[in-house]
Amino acid sequence: MITWLRHHAFALSRALRHIFKPKSGFLLNVIVVAIALALPFAGLTLLENVRPMSEQLAVEPEISVFMTMDLPRDKAVAAADSIRKAVGDPSSVAKLEFVPREKALAALNEKSGMTDVITTLGSNPLPDSYVLKLAGFRNAAEAGRVDAIAAQLKTLPDVDTVQVDSTWVKRLAALLHILQLGLLFLALTLGVVVVAVVFNTIRLQVLTQRDEIEVSRLVGATNTFICRPFYYSGALLGLCAGAAALGVVALALQPLNGAIAEFARLYASEFRLAPLSLPASAMLLVVSSGLGLMGALMSVQRHLARIS
Amino acid sequence: MIEFHQLSKRYGQHAALTNVSLSIAKGELIFLAGPSGAGKSTLFKMIAAMERPSSGKVLVNGQDVGKMPASGLPYLRRNLGLIMQQNRLLLDRDVLSNVMLPLLVTGATRGEAEKRARAALEKVGLLANAKSEPMSLSGGEQQRATIARAIVNRPQIILADEPTANLDRGNADKVLDAIKAFHGVGVTCLISTHDEQVLAKAKRVIQLQQGQLIDAGVAP
Repeated sequence: MITWLRHHAFALSRALRHIFKPKSGFLLNVIVVAIALALPFAGLTLLENVRPMSEQLAVEPEISVFMTMDLPRDKAVAAADSIRKAVGDPSSVAKLEFVPREKALAALNEKSGMTDVITTLGSNPLPDSYVLKLAGFRNAAEAGRVDAIAAQLKTLPDVDTVQVDSTWVKRLAALLHILQLGLLFLALTLGVVVVAVVFNTIRLQVLTQRDEIEVSRLVGATNTFICRPFYYSGALLGLCAGAAALGVVALALQPLNGAIAEFARLYASEFRLAPLSLPASAMLLVVSSGLGLMGALMSVQRHLARIS
Repeated sequence: MIEFHQLSKRYGQHAALTNVSLSIAKGELIFLAGPSGAGKSTLFKMIAAMERPSSGKVLVNGQDVGKMPASGLPYLRRNLGLIMQQNRLLLDRDVLSNVMLPLLVTGATRGEAEKRARAALEKVGLLANAKSEPMSLSGGEQQRATIARAIVNRPQIILADEPTANLDRGNADKVLDAIKAFHGVGVTCLISTHDEQVLAKAKRVIQLQQGQLIDAGVAP
């Protein structure tokens, strides 16, 4: 175990020595990889900021259940139980509000200013109704469940019309889904770019250290011993580039937030983009180091075989 | 200790070694003679498993190195001290670091490696140059530094391929004396050379010509 740790310490020191060697080009490679990583990191930051907002918007889709016109009040009130049963899962019902026809008329009067027209009708044209707010609906697939519940409610006796407004939920969810897919595609593409850059960097390192590799083999170094410094170089390149990319995104948020704050004020909102959380940032550093390690692994396996 | 059984090596149409059979006992000092292209270097490469035989066997301590898996080769080479014609010192580090390398490869601590590397350099008379850059040394000093690197791991066998080529008489004698000193403590030494003066004094000389064994010398 101690020998193993000693080998790792030696490999790390060799990798660091190469990194800090003048004209190693490490800084330039970090910049190239950081630029490639900054784009998906920025996209993820945006998505992480928008997601809670969209969840808040989509949390309670509404279904309006209109009872038949001639239904007595006591029966209309009693219909609440059958509506709850029709929804199925009790936790899906965030709120079920009975709206008496008189209250609905008053609201219509108040909102639309159609007092004259309603007075002309002579009687209240509105039925008793329920407003059902559903909980825990966050994406397009779940919005489909809203439609299913509406269809179930329509089959209830004494229910005349069911009006569901889930289109906006679907649109928002679909937009977020597209954003997520776009981000995933961008991340995958740029991940390949990162691996390619590290692959080439390590290839050059292997070639410049050809003598050392050959001599190490002659004196009894195992392949693992020879490869390890290159693995560390790749992982360190990924780590430094990941940290640089996170820094760039955090810095870019400052001027961006100024403009967003001004825009959000128009909608009486205090929305602003926050940097990624510490665990998310740590995860991205692990991913970028992993990409660096992967590039180094592929490069070393390919080019070391040629030297032997 | 080292046995060759009907060993042949071909590079395409060219036969570098043909049906070589001989054995070398533990602790022997053997000189390998023959003109350029005789197959001396190929024989060394076979022992160190840098090349695989086309046919036949090379046994080192009873192990067929031609059939040894790649994972076993580093452990074979740790028991061999290789001194090549081109000294192959690493130019990006000082002499001491070059000599420490075989020890660090085996997992020795830096302190232990440095101590043993200094002892090896002292044996070849180069301790004063421990912190020198390889390029600042003369050809003979560089070759002695290579010997220090070859013996620092206390190998059982030293393989020296033309270690005195390109050296003047004085430096050549120093290099050979350094190698012979390890033979004195029981290390098996195999040295290839063109040097007639050296061969004249040798107890056992193996002669190769165009890849064939002409004379296996007299085993003690």
